[in-house]
Amino acid sequence: MAERLASKAPLPGPDAVAWRPQHRRPLPWGAILRHAVLLLFCAIVLFPLGWVVLLSVKSLPDAYTNRIWPSEFDFSHYGYAMTHISTLPRNVLNSIFVTSATVVLATICAVLAGYSLVHLETPGRVVVFALLVASMFFPTRITSLIAVYEIQKQLGMLNTTYGLIFPYVTLSLALSVFIMRGIFEVIPRELVDAARIDGCGPWRMLLQVMLPLIRNGIVVVIVVNFVTAWGEYLLATTLTNDQEVRTLPVVLAAASGGMGQWAWPRIAAVYVMAVAPALIAFAITQRWYMRGLQEGALKG
Amino acid sequence: MGPEPRGAGPSENRPAHVERCTLSVNERVIRMAVLARGRAEATAHWRKGAIHRFVTTWPFLLPAIVFFVGWQLYPILRVLWLSFTDYHYLRVGETVHWVGLANYREALADPLVRQGLLRALAFTAIFLPGMIIIPLIAAILIDRVRNQRLATIYRVILLIPAMIPGPLIFVLWKWMYSYTIGPINYLLVDVLHVFTIYNAPQWLGDPQLTFLAIAVMEWWWGLGYHTIFFLAGLAAIPRELFEAARVDGASEWRMFWSITLPRLRPVLLVLVVLRFGTAMAVIDEYLIFGGFNRALPTYTWTVYMWDLAFQLGDWRQSYAAAVGWIGALLMLVVVGFLFWLFRPRD
Repeated sequence: MAERLASKAPLPGPDAVAWRPQHRRPLPWGAILRHAVLLLFCAIVLFPLGWVVLLSVKSLPDAYTNRIWPSEFDFSHYGYAMTHISTLPRNVLNSIFVTSATVVLATICAVLAGYSLVHLETPGRVVVFALLVASMFFPTRITSLIAVYEIQKQLGMLNTTYGLIFPYVTLSLALSVFIMRGIFEVIPRELVDAARIDGCGPWRMLLQVMLPLIRNGIVVVIVVNFVTAWGEYLLATTLTNDQEVRTLPVVLAAASGGMGQWAWPRIAAVYVMAVAPALIAFAITQRWYMRGLQEGALKG
Repeated sequence: MGPEPRGAGPSENRPAHVERCTLSVNERVIRMAVLARGRAEATAHWRKGAIHRFVTTWPFLLPAIVFFVGWQLYPILRVLWLSFTDYHYLRVGETVHWVGLANYREALADPLVRQGLLRALAFTAIFLPGMIIIPLIAAILIDRVRNQRLATIYRVILLIPAMIPGPLIFVLWKWMYSYTIGPINYLLVDVLHVFTIYNAPQWLGDPQLTFLAIAVMEWWWGLGYHTIFFLAGLAAIPRELFEAARVDGASEWRMFWSITLPRLRPVLLVLVVLRFGTAMAVIDEYLIFGGFNRALPTYTWTVYMWDLAFQLGDWRQSYAAAVGWIGALLMLVVVGFLFWLFRPRD
């Protein structure tokens, strides 16, 4: 390499210039600045999460000195939080139950609705879709709250965990249908027609022909609904009263750090346990999620 | 994240899935020919009249409709009706009277409603610019990263907060801003010595700072999600436009204003309208950060509505309904204005 440089250096002309280190492209200040800004963004994004993880493994004395890097690690807070904080295991189970039921129901609703809006000539689909889209531009959650409370009361579902599922399904329903519609629209009409003339009925078409093609979109819808339901606060705090039927976010929001079972590292441990499942699931499904977004979820 | 072109995937998969319902080749050709004469005939077995079509296709739409009507559409209309009555939730057994616009008249004269709406508007004014501009910058920067792997890593890292549910974000930032254990004040006081413990900012307790603190948190939360939106919008701009502009000697700045921004108008519209809606109707953040403290700016119309409906006196839900609808109507007016502002002009 050095030899080559030496032999080429004296030669004039554009080829030679490219090989001489001191005349190589000037330092790409633009690119350096660009990456510096992006790295700064990434650092800002990661800082609070790193801080809370570190807080959850600090020893109790360290937690009150505020130093970000603990002088002594203590990993016992996780076990302590799960066994010593009353009702906490129950709240975690409540959250898991409500969230999984919501995700399953909302995804089924969204897939079926998206399919019928795009590929079946369902009468009234224009009106239905218009209403769903309009609801996204309306403060639905706030405006409907009073009557949702009333409905839940009439159905005997006030202050129950399972009762939360029904309003939860609707929270991201319009968005989910919208996403699935975008995904279904990418599926070529010819494919639908080909399957149709081969005698495929609507159900068979959905399950055998479409399902493999909308996989990425389903991942997006699952993630959206999971995030909504797992952390929902307003409805949970309005519609439930007792600590045992409440979900994890409501309990966490009410917890203010202090001594004993609610000492800061212990709450932080609860927090990490609340956030980790979502982030691990995202790390695993990230590829499909990004692809699903690209395929059509972002269109419109 | 691969470079596969959009739309190529599905048609390639076609033989694999369709084979299961395949007939003989001849049969297919005949049916194709039938199809060519018009789709209406080929799909005859799906559309034997309107009733048949209704019965065969509505089961697909029904689950979504049941939830949508039951827990969104009906409640909204029911609340609208309540807002014209004198209904108090805790006055059990009392007859409910129709009072016309009395609740609305009272609410419009109520200083708490006016103040609540103004506070919500003030928060929106702080929140919205950062929520649009910061992700736009991030997207433009990521869009120029040549290394695909690196670009993906940036996207994924920025997207992490979007995977954390809102209320859990609020809980985390409540601790971040805390002046006892919060790392923000720790950095400002103990590391950077910008403040002392006597004058360190109380991010959530100081009415001057609360909205800014909440807005910063929201920017942190929304950065990745909105960046992805803008990246999709940027990817849709034909590269030739930039090349042509460059040949004509346009500066980067000029290209941003003349090409990028006009082409992003649809994405901008959607984001501005959606985030305006989010910002005006914020409630979880306010409940978690400010509670029902009326002195704090977090006591906006949404919190006032909740307070009226589920906490104050005998739960005057009719009046709360009117407050909610006034806020909603104000938002609809602004959304209509935004649509007009971003209307397609060419």
